[in-house]
Amino acid sequence: MAIRNLELGIWNRRFHIPNPAFLIALALSASCAPAGAANSTLTAIDGIRVGHDTLAERPTGCTVVLFDGAALAAGVSQRGSAPGTRDADQLQPTSAVDRVNAIVLSGGSAFGLDTANGVMRWVDEHATDSRRPPSGGPGVPRGVDVPIVASAVLIDLWVGGKPSIRPDADCGYRAAGAATTAPVQEGSVGAGAGATVGKILGRERAMKGGLGSAAITLPNGLRVAAIVAVNPLGDVIDPSNGTVVAGARNDNGSLADVRKLLRSGAALQRTSADDNTTIAVVATNARLTKADASRVATMADDGIARTIAPAHTTADGDTVFAVATGGWSGTTDVTTVGALAADVLADAIVRAVRSATSVAGIPAVRDLKR
Amino acid sequence: MRYCSAMKPVALAAACVAAAAIGLAAQSSARASSGITAVDGIKVGHYTLAERPTGCTVVVVDGDAVGGVSQRGGAPGTRETDLLNPLNMVDKVNAIVLAGGSAFGLEAATGTVRWLEERNIGWQAGPSRVPIVPAAILFDLGVGGNPKIRPTADCGYKAADAATTGAVPEGSVGAGAGATVGKFAGAGRSTKSGIGTASIALPSGLVVGAVVAVNAVGDIIDPATGKVVAGVRNPDGTFADARKLLRAGGSAQSRAGENTTIGVVATNARLSKALAARMALMADDGYARAIAPSHTNADGDTIFSLATGRWSGNADITVIGALAAEAVADAIVRAATQATSVAGIPAARDLRK
Repeated sequence: MAIRNLELGIWNRRFHIPNPAFLIALALSASCAPAGAANSTLTAIDGIRVGHDTLAERPTGCTVVLFDGAALAAGVSQRGSAPGTRDADQLQPTSAVDRVNAIVLSGGSAFGLDTANGVMRWVDEHATDSRRPPSGGPGVPRGVDVPIVASAVLIDLWVGGKPSIRPDADCGYRAAGAATTAPVQEGSVGAGAGATVGKILGRERAMKGGLGSAAITLPNGLRVAAIVAVNPLGDVIDPSNGTVVAGARNDNGSLADVRKLLRSGAALQRTSADDNTTIAVVATNARLTKADASRVATMADDGIARTIAPAHTTADGDTVFAVATGGWSGTTDVTTVGALAADVLADAIVRAVRSATSVAGIPAVRDLKR
Repeated sequence: MRYCSAMKPVALAAACVAAAAIGLAAQSSARASSGITAVDGIKVGHYTLAERPTGCTVVVVDGDAVGGVSQRGGAPGTRETDLLNPLNMVDKVNAIVLAGGSAFGLEAATGTVRWLEERNIGWQAGPSRVPIVPAAILFDLGVGGNPKIRPTADCGYKAADAATTGAVPEGSVGAGAGATVGKFAGAGRSTKSGIGTASIALPSGLVVGAVVAVNAVGDIIDPATGKVVAGVRNPDGTFADARKLLRAGGSAQSRAGENTTIGVVATNARLSKALAARMALMADDGYARAIAPSHTNADGDTIFSLATGRWSGNADITVIGALAAEAVADAIVRAATQATSVAGIPAARDLRK
């Protein structure tokens, strides 16, 4: 729990500066704490590695989550109206395959689904006994190992350069090769490199989104963690106090608060699907059935509802994957895991915009506050 | 008055007083409702049983409306929700029933169907008109009396007959009569909840309203402040905050099926069946924002949408869906703030005294 408190104290809310206690703790953790002790990101869960690949040519990229081990029940909640996904149907509880080797989050709109090809190649080349892809399935001869790689994309084609530059199979391959158990790098990287938020008053009023990750560990050893690339039409809200963290800006640069705009009937500039989508992976070390993993995905999606306003619009392809590694042998219930998944995804979304840096002239929260 | 309805309950009284002071409230609107009945074509009736705190609430459409549903809780009790799938044919709804009584309460819809049939209202099927009445129930069998007392067809008939376009009574009535919240640490620490309603009217004429019977395992949160409005109680009458209990390692004490939040959102906009489904899906975000945790395996959370098409203006579905989520969250907070104590279960308004 100390890790948790530490994380909550990163920012001094009143003065909008890093909390001095956090900086001291950070220095201590970097110098003498065992590796992983201060990890409050998705890789705090055993058996999970994360890698980013960010393109140099344009702010876009992909993020790969690799799963080691066998007990990997997975589910998905797909509630945005403009999704780009791959192998999401396979995660339905009524579908046969009940494991997943990797999940790819990518920029580049539907073109970015190409990244999963590179991840499949990487998993195929690196298959080991401890990371053996599930075998076959109906119609596939026994002995053929098919890497199971689910994927979702966000659209960032308009940000900072030529739209024809987008993540491809090599991006996915490199991100898989770069995956480590180190704390996840957050901000304007990987699938969050070109992510933006608050586009309801137009692109020129948007702020920088990004990639965030968070983890919650209970005293009994249960862990629930999330990683998310935050690129919604809507604003990002801190659910602990209802305030806007990042979103559509007024002429003077202040935050407009889309909730107030909507209730006033103000004319909105952009509600098309050209610019948006939030995509996430939540994971737990609990042992869950495939149906329970779907329930966790459904409940985790409440984290998007609480931190993004509006969420799940026709202009967003919001998608949340849930994975249970089964590495923890304790007992819990799916309501607890799902509720924590919603909380930790909300945390990760707020972290994504707080850790983002300005890109291509689109300001980030941390830059506005300087 | 109707602009007052778009505000948070806390701000409501002050804002309405202020409006009265400058004479705005003097305008006599034919539609005084600040709830879902502000939507043209929507009537609401409650029936509350005398024998035990339970009952039903019927939303009656004047004619018909396009409908949709979002069913995300893990322990639902529903009727005619498959019909609302956009892939399926029937695209008209005549009434929606919300009832207590767990799955037994689905019988209430039978009475509403009878009431509609007597008025020759329904989907034309050969020689017959078949009333289309989706329904969802919540579990209140453990509250205040003999659990064998539950809403029957008679309840659904009487609630439909009582439906009006007037202001909707809120609190411990109708489907909310036996509703409670904050059962994460067991029923003994729960707080009384009920049914609430809210609406938002834009200057363009678009109206979105909601009515919700709130019986969640989770706490009720005011999304404007992040604070608990009603939920798990401490011995001193303060709220423990289920979110904190959860993060501290507490696990849910409530059993599956003993909870559930059910509601209806309605708009006067004209929507296709697919867009009505999208409206329901987005409205469901109001549950996520105002209930923590929500959509659990111990809740049968379900929300229906209705588009009456009485307003000829154009509105983006993203706007309608976003306002639907806001109205649902408002209605949930009102359900908790308007409830009165029942059967020894204190309501938030009594705890504050």
